[in-house]
Amino acid sequence: MPNAILDPTGRAGAPRARSAGLTLAARRPDLSGQRVGLMDNTKHNAALLLAEIGGLLAAEHGVTVTLEATKADFAAPAPADLVVRYREACDVVITGVGDCGSCSASAVADGIGFEQAGVPAAVICSDAFVVTADAMAELRGAPGYHYIRTAHPVAVLTTEQVRQRAKQLLPEVVAALTETLPQ
Amino acid sequence: MPGQAVIAEQTETELDPDAAHAAIEYCYTQGWSDGLPLVPATRPLVEKFLAATARNPAEVIGRLPQLDRSVTVELAAINAVMAGCLPEYFPVVLAAWDALMRERATTGGGWQSTSGPAPLMVINGPVRADLGINATGGVFGPGFRPNATIPRAIGLMVRNAYGIHPHELEQATQGLPGRWSICLAENEEDSPWPALATEAGLPPGTSAVSATLLRTCEFVDNRHTSSAEHLLADFADTIGRSGAWIFRHASAGIVFCPEHAQLLAGAGFDRAGVRAFLADRSGRSTAGLAAVGKDACDDNGVRGPGDGGDGFQRMLAGSESQHLLIAVAGARNAGISMVVRLFGGWSGTSVPVPRPGREESYD
Repeated sequence: MPNAILDPTGRAGAPRARSAGLTLAARRPDLSGQRVGLMDNTKHNAALLLAEIGGLLAAEHGVTVTLEATKADFAAPAPADLVVRYREACDVVITGVGDCGSCSASAVADGIGFEQAGVPAAVICSDAFVVTADAMAELRGAPGYHYIRTAHPVAVLTTEQVRQRAKQLLPEVVAALTETLPQ
Repeated sequence: MPGQAVIAEQTETELDPDAAHAAIEYCYTQGWSDGLPLVPATRPLVEKFLAATARNPAEVIGRLPQLDRSVTVELAAINAVMAGCLPEYFPVVLAAWDALMRERATTGGGWQSTSGPAPLMVINGPVRADLGINATGGVFGPGFRPNATIPRAIGLMVRNAYGIHPHELEQATQGLPGRWSICLAENEEDSPWPALATEAGLPPGTSAVSATLLRTCEFVDNRHTSSAEHLLADFADTIGRSGAWIFRHASAGIVFCPEHAQLLAGAGFDRAGVRAFLADRSGRSTAGLAAVGKDACDDNGVRGPGDGGDGFQRMLAGSESQHLLIAVAGARNAGISMVVRLFGGWSGTSVPVPRPGREESYD
């Protein structure tokens, strides 16, 4: 009887990630009067893009931006205490921009984490990182998790181009935060 | 010769290349390979690797919380077998892994990065000769089993134990030549300076691994000057090039060939002297950086276009070894050295390699 070939992954026999899907946080029909949190991941133009979207939501949808914070380590999902800060200060959160190998994946992990904490979230990712973002969603037991894809690259856009991009993304952000999209 | 015992053992058994081929193909179908054939890992073989270390097979030696994956000593052994290591290499693989874990990027997003960084491992001490690790000619190139398989083991640990595969969780834009294959022994015999591990604080003669992550390697060929200042100015120019410069400062390293190291030592330069010279002179004028849109830093310290101006900007953050790793390796046959570009900084430390199966340091 020959020796068995050993598995080098440490996952032999491990159950696949739960694919029951994610139960999204409950959404209200519209954003009027809601408190919005913006979580910037330090990637270039992320803070500006989020601030522009926050400004448009305030002007056109009657929201108040109540928390603008930075996730210091873009590569890792937001620490638990930061999630708690958003949960306490906000009704919904917008985060991004997933614009690199690790930060796109962790932006999706953040979105899933906010939903699990009961806070509806809109995650913005560059469309160059769809594969790694989807891989993270699967790892977190939320295959098919919906996030907002924006054309790559974001980092080289001028201030005016970022404003335009914010306008383009606004309907998708509103939809993500108000409609429970199929997972 | 290292490895001879294993070969002698094998000639006494009947070899079955068809079975070997089938086992190799099985490993490919499982998605475990980095593209090259793997040595299928069996329990008896893995036990030989585990016998080479005193560490508990269940010890967790690395963890990536964002992926919920971890590496144990046993998984390291399985991947080291698959990489083609011999059992006696295993303590070096573990020390190399531990040395890499001291880098911020390896416990964060470094393995997933668009830059696709490559580990650099520098080995010091008697383990070099005991395992036949190349320190001289072609030290960055192929042809030597430990130099090729020890870093490959690290790559397979990242791929298999962490589950970071190219085009999926690994997002390297282009990657770089030599990823998972840059492992060299320091040429202590032809070096005029103390061993790198000694500079990093370990007792002289200690077998040890120093490691960091690289963005690339680029040669400096200068064999027609006897001036240490000419030579160092040539290195300063290469180190200070703008393409490698993305944040306020950048770190680098130099793997000096013996000829260059000896010329510098002859002119009175030790490692600290070389670093002080290069920390001062490696960089670009603000105007030169403005010409490539990198003269200013934003709030996050990322370089971009600014208003130009006068002055000279230094690339290295200081003259400490963390900002400029210096090792000596290669043949003593020409003035050709390698500048290496660090992904972040170097920890400035080295990890001792215990003797096979023992806990204490190699010497």
